[in-house]
Amino acid sequence: MTDATLDGSGGVASRGAVGKGLQGLIPALLLALGLVVFWEVVIRLFSVPTFVLPAPTAIFASLVVHWKPLLVAAKATALEVLFGFVLSAVVGIAVALVIVRFERFGRALYPLIVLFQNVPKVALAPIFILWFGYDLAPKILLIVVIAFFPVAIDMLAGLQSVEPSFISLMRSVGASQGKIMMRVRIPHSLPHLMAGLKVAITFSVIGAIVGEFAGANQGLGYVIQFASTQLDTPLIFAALIVVSVLGLAFYYIIEFAEHVLVPWAPKFDPIHSAG
Amino acid sequence: MNVRVMTAAARNAAFAAEKSAPAHIAARGVAVDFTVEGRRQRVLNEINLAVPKGSFVSLIGPSGCGKSTLLKVMAGLVAPTEGEMTVAGMTPQQAVKARLIGLVFQEATLLPWKNALENAAFLLMTADDSIKKSDAFDRAAAMLRLVGLEDADKKRPNQLSGGMRQRVAIARALALDPEVLLMDEPFGALDAITREEMSDCLLDIWERTHKTIVLVTHSIDEAVFLSREVHVMGTGPARIIETLPITLPHPRTEDSYSAPAFAAAEARLRSLLIESHKRGRR
Repeated sequence: MTDATLDGSGGVASRGAVGKGLQGLIPALLLALGLVVFWEVVIRLFSVPTFVLPAPTAIFASLVVHWKPLLVAAKATALEVLFGFVLSAVVGIAVALVIVRFERFGRALYPLIVLFQNVPKVALAPIFILWFGYDLAPKILLIVVIAFFPVAIDMLAGLQSVEPSFISLMRSVGASQGKIMMRVRIPHSLPHLMAGLKVAITFSVIGAIVGEFAGANQGLGYVIQFASTQLDTPLIFAALIVVSVLGLAFYYIIEFAEHVLVPWAPKFDPIHSAG
Repeated sequence: MNVRVMTAAARNAAFAAEKSAPAHIAARGVAVDFTVEGRRQRVLNEINLAVPKGSFVSLIGPSGCGKSTLLKVMAGLVAPTEGEMTVAGMTPQQAVKARLIGLVFQEATLLPWKNALENAAFLLMTADDSIKKSDAFDRAAAMLRLVGLEDADKKRPNQLSGGMRQRVAIARALALDPEVLLMDEPFGALDAITREEMSDCLLDIWERTHKTIVLVTHSIDEAVFLSREVHVMGTGPARIIETLPITLPHPRTEDSYSAPAFAAAEARLRSLLIESHKRGRR
């Protein structure tokens, strides 16, 4: 009877947790502010040319001047990320389910997927452009080949890590494999799946930018490449900031979904993970 | 207390009749081979066993003596390589289909996303697709009352203590209304005081529900306190080395631990186990 109330406060304190989370951000924000000030001072002190490394103020100015085209570009990139991510999730989940459900086929498929994972995906971008042109399709495809893997692997780990005694219990009441899958394995795998989705969403942003580098006429990757041909370094950095904000927003949407969908998932604390 | 004495007396009379009745669980020459890394290994050998209906029987022995495997054979989870196992006159697989078997493991294995009531109803709803949700929940709630958890039905597993989780697991097995309750070291992960509490709880359940119970345990005290009969198992090759009837009178209470019959059975079991351990090392 020792561990009765350890996790008992989860539901009640969720509003307080948000406030506490924001409060927890203060040290990070202070550190960021300090770094930005240091950056500004160094640029001014040593008169570093803007095309090499722009000062934070110059980047901010560029952000203000170019806000409209940046917003349009962000919209295009966000669309690619969204489609690519959703498709990655679908493919990743399907691959994991197929491997578990059809064991023999899974044994054949799994090594091929791992092998494919070792192909440098970035190098595929020109081929996809060649096949599908400059539109949405090649970017989505690139995102899928980059981002389905973490989804598949984490989902697979979740499906396989069900305690054997659970399977025994289900079998002791004559439950079919399908029932065991639907009622125990899949729900059990959801926290693992969410972890995979968090990795996949960051990979999706990378995939979209790389896809746009390889050939595009819109999107943040395109803006970055265009700005670099003009030596407009402040615009490059401005676009990078927008990319980061976009990625962060997507990440926290997934995190929120996890909070809502799998409230029983163990909370991950990167600093105190061992404690 | 009076009621309990009466039921105990009735049960003692019933047991006299049981001796002649056919066994509820019977093993005849059961052997099990496992293939480990390509090598066949005999994990159970020549098991002959008869558990009367409504009895409480313990399997005790050192690690690796195959007591858990024997329980799995009874539950239809492992098929015997040789011999025959019957539960209520059927094969274990048929007994599973007829929902005669309830299982409890060392880990409570509760679904973390369901509360105690939903967990207690879970196997029943899995076993019986046609059951109404409200009926299953009513039955689960009744079983939670039986194990003394009526106030915790809305709690999630991570809000329950180890002993409470194990009570939910027992309620979940009882909700199936099985004839046979198979328990694999159900209190093995609990602290000493909680163990004794759970032993009382289990004895109480047995006296009220008339289930046939087979308990796998490491604990000599637990085996003596709970059982009508203890099968002592040994290794190399794993088998039953002796069957010891426990004559400790019912009803068994805290005082039973200090009864002479308790001490005698305990001493006998201990010497058998020490012998079995020594032989296992050789």
